[in-house]
Amino acid sequence: MTSTIGRLSPQRCFGIGTCAILLTAMSGHALPVLHAQSARAQYEPPAAAGTVPDLAGTWDGTRRAHPTNSATVPWARTVPEGTILPDGTRAGKDYVSNFPVLNERALAFQKIFDEPLSPKYDCQPSTPPALEYDPFNMELVQWPDRVLLRYEKDDQLRTVWLDGRQPTARNYGIQGFSVGRYEGNALLVETTHYVFDVTGFDDYNGIPSSQQKKVTERYWREGEQLKVTVTVEDPLFLRKPASYTMRYLPAPKGYKLKPFDCDPEAARLSVQFIPPKYK
Amino acid sequence: MTGGLRISAALALPIGLLLTVTVAAHHSAAAAYDETKRVEAQGTVTKILVRNPHSWVFLESADDKGQKIEWQIEMGGAPSMAWAKDAMPIGTVVKVVGHPSRAPGTHGITGAAFAKTDGTPLGPRGTR
Repeated sequence: MTSTIGRLSPQRCFGIGTCAILLTAMSGHALPVLHAQSARAQYEPPAAAGTVPDLAGTWDGTRRAHPTNSATVPWARTVPEGTILPDGTRAGKDYVSNFPVLNERALAFQKIFDEPLSPKYDCQPSTPPALEYDPFNMELVQWPDRVLLRYEKDDQLRTVWLDGRQPTARNYGIQGFSVGRYEGNALLVETTHYVFDVTGFDDYNGIPSSQQKKVTERYWREGEQLKVTVTVEDPLFLRKPASYTMRYLPAPKGYKLKPFDCDPEAARLSVQFIPPKYK
Repeated sequence: MTGGLRISAALALPIGLLLTVTVAAHHSAAAAYDETKRVEAQGTVTKILVRNPHSWVFLESADDKGQKIEWQIEMGGAPSMAWAKDAMPIGTVVKVVGHPSRAPGTHGITGAAFAKTDGTPLGPRGTR
């Protein structure tokens, strides 16, 4: 930049006015560029080039990849030996329960919970740890400063910030606020700042989640598979963290995520079949 | 219109176990449907909603007293229903078996398996 200005010395200009116009024009264009370059110079990629694991792609999370979610999947107290687990392996004799250990507050919520209260009947989107496991496809996009997780289920898009930013009190939301980093061959995602959700743990067992819910996800590749361990902490409802590991398979070549377009009529229709718990 | 309804309580346990194997129950179906029982019905397809989060098939039928009833059959999401509109055009008479709804006086079914009146299966079995 200095040499450029030097070449435009007054001696080489046709006149002072012309030179001033040129210098002003150059300054006007140059300053924003300098700002942008400065901002980029301060940004440090989360991992050196070549060390970021390639997790990008469209991933099949349907029942082809793992057993469909239910009251005992992926959270199970017991599993018969040989059962296919969410990560695609088979359960051994020594299966250890991963069912969440609830405190008294959670048990009380569970006791008074009335199924028609579940926000899903009004198309409120699912959230982690249930969102990842629902039997739909997912697209993972890796950009230098963020990872985008786009779910076919409920048309949800989660942004995982890799640039060091942290959530503020203004960042509470239904999908919380996600930050992440690469560790070895894995992407580690930590999500906090969820709003209270009466079925925020899952939508089977009437377990709520609080603003203190923290979901940690570790994504890594095993051959053609994308695996993730999802761990939930919520001191308001859980006595200790609970976690499951699942797998995605590559989606069929060329597959594009389809819109979910949750239909309120279709979502609420089955509520009429639930015997009322309260009058 | 053809009608028919049969709930088999005596066979509920063994058939329920059989259906447990074939039914991919999704979400908290147990709150709305009794997965230990099964119901059989026959009726005319009047409407198919291929939607998310769940699709629906509506059958016009009649109860044992000849009163017109509408069966509302909860199915899987839109991606799993590509077969339905071709296999069961509006006006087709079909048989269905699945788990009955819990609330008294309602006519809901989930985990449904469809068949032609001659018993030929239609579509996948027991999806929701």
